[in-house]
Amino acid sequence: MDSSPIVDRRSTGTLGCAALHRPINHQGIGAYRSQDHARIEGTRSPAAPWYKTPVTVQYHLKLSPGDVAPYVLLPGDPGRVPLVASMWDESHEVASNREYVTFTGTYRGVPISCTSTGIGCPSTAIAMEELARVGATTFVRIGTCGTFQDRVHTGDIAIFDSAARYDGASRLYAPIEFPAVADHEVVSAAIAAGRELGLSFHVGTTRTADSFYALHPRPGSSFGGYWQSSWREHFEDVKRMNVVAAEMEASVIFVLARIWGLRAGGVAIVLDNVLKVSGDSGDFDPQQQFDHGGDEIERLARMGSEIVRILAERDAAA
Amino acid sequence: MSLQYHVRVSPGDVAPYVLLPGDPGRVEVVASLWDETRHVASNREYVTFTGTYRGVPISCTSTGIGSPSTAIALEELARVGATTFVRIGTSGSLQDRVGVGDLAILDSAIRADGASTLYAPPEFPAVAHHEVVDAAIEATTGLGVRHHVGTTFSTDLFYVPEAGSAFGGYEQSAWRERYADVARANALAAEMEAGVLMVLSRIWGLRGGAIALVADVAEERDESGAFDPQASFDVSEESIERLARVGCETVRILGERDRAREGA
Repeated sequence: MDSSPIVDRRSTGTLGCAALHRPINHQGIGAYRSQDHARIEGTRSPAAPWYKTPVTVQYHLKLSPGDVAPYVLLPGDPGRVPLVASMWDESHEVASNREYVTFTGTYRGVPISCTSTGIGCPSTAIAMEELARVGATTFVRIGTCGTFQDRVHTGDIAIFDSAARYDGASRLYAPIEFPAVADHEVVSAAIAAGRELGLSFHVGTTRTADSFYALHPRPGSSFGGYWQSSWREHFEDVKRMNVVAAEMEASVIFVLARIWGLRAGGVAIVLDNVLKVSGDSGDFDPQQQFDHGGDEIERLARMGSEIVRILAERDAAA
Repeated sequence: MSLQYHVRVSPGDVAPYVLLPGDPGRVEVVASLWDETRHVASNREYVTFTGTYRGVPISCTSTGIGSPSTAIALEELARVGATTFVRIGTSGSLQDRVGVGDLAILDSAIRADGASTLYAPPEFPAVAHHEVVDAAIEATTGLGVRHHVGTTFSTDLFYVPEAGSAFGGYEQSAWRERYADVARANALAAEMEAGVLMVLSRIWGLRGGAIALVADVAEERDESGAFDPQASFDVSEESIERLARVGCETVRILGERDRAREGA
């Protein structure tokens, strides 16, 4: 079997990307996109063979080329997309289908989009695939998380530089040995944004899992007291590995961006300590226990938008 | 904790910043770039020098080849006070855009090794510390060296069971497309130590990173398909010195930033 994808990467330069994209993009966004493609090393050009079939509207996200900026914020909850967009200079709803809501606009002069992924890696992988096809090159997840570490407090921000891959979707793309790693430029921009906004933040690894109610150390988290003995020390083991956060989407975002030569990162607001959330009873009731007021989500949205601004300004200077 | 069993170092013998080549013969080359230097220990494949580079305390310890001996070196160095590990070694390129003589700054690793999986399950990421990545980029940029940032394939095998590489042509079908698949997943380089270094640094809350000189192109074989590293690897003295210089500069940048932060 030949190794055509490797050869393709060499034979399709950034020129092809610019030539293909510029005419069909909205002005402004197109300029950013081709510039962005040109400076990310190893970026797969959309001129590669699988892209040759004309791409029109995407099946799930209902987006077409030109509908999204190169920089996309990714919350899980479709209800949060308008809230994020409300912080921008101007914005409009581009599409809404299933759990996928997309707004595009401008934040402090930078073209920006926000698309909800739904909960979990399968729906997130679909969002990434379709966003990349219409020209997104930088993905920043903004979400909520739990923490494993006592030094991290409720209301703090976790900046993810990597993820432990306890998910299913990312394994179907790359073997489990492959690292889920954020792009260092996104991590650096997130640190700068956190400092600038005066937020208490931590940089580290997140544990991305395909389950919300499973894996807790005692019966009481899953319905009807269902439990498995292998769960008993899972949280403690993850804590011992110095993992900062628990959430459900970062790993597949990092793996897909890395294998495609695109950029990704993630930030999340800490809602609870997963080791303490189900006290002695083992009962886990997020509706009662989680604390997310509107201003916490607003802070997260502000940080995500600032990360995009910093990245865009650095990209323009590079 | 006093004298360490394999590396033969005691607390006070090493600086917080340690450069880690594989080859014990290269430690002295690295140390020759420093302001002042002393030989601390030699035992098995572990040779350690400690000194000062442009005002920053620095050590260099060889790890030997592969993740098992590297894990031992890291365990014992951490016990005597090392906190920042920067691997400097050679690698094969997996991408056409990465040429022989270029440097690969490794921000993450595919964990095709044994030792790291005994510490943390394979789901756990092998990731470099972002401060080390940033310092390495600044060091290579400052020295005008062509570099790439990306993922490495850290494997426990040098002679792999694909056509013409292992002795006697021994072959396993699982390896036939292994390198091609890894290249398709956008990995930059292949080497044998970065994965365990990054996993151990991360689980201990220490800092790790790796810089690799590209010595050959992993996919390139001669017409017979034979793999003869003695004939095909290009590891000149000049290129090793450049790698060592980038490693020392990375430590200097980290040391100066750490000092500024502590002073602030």
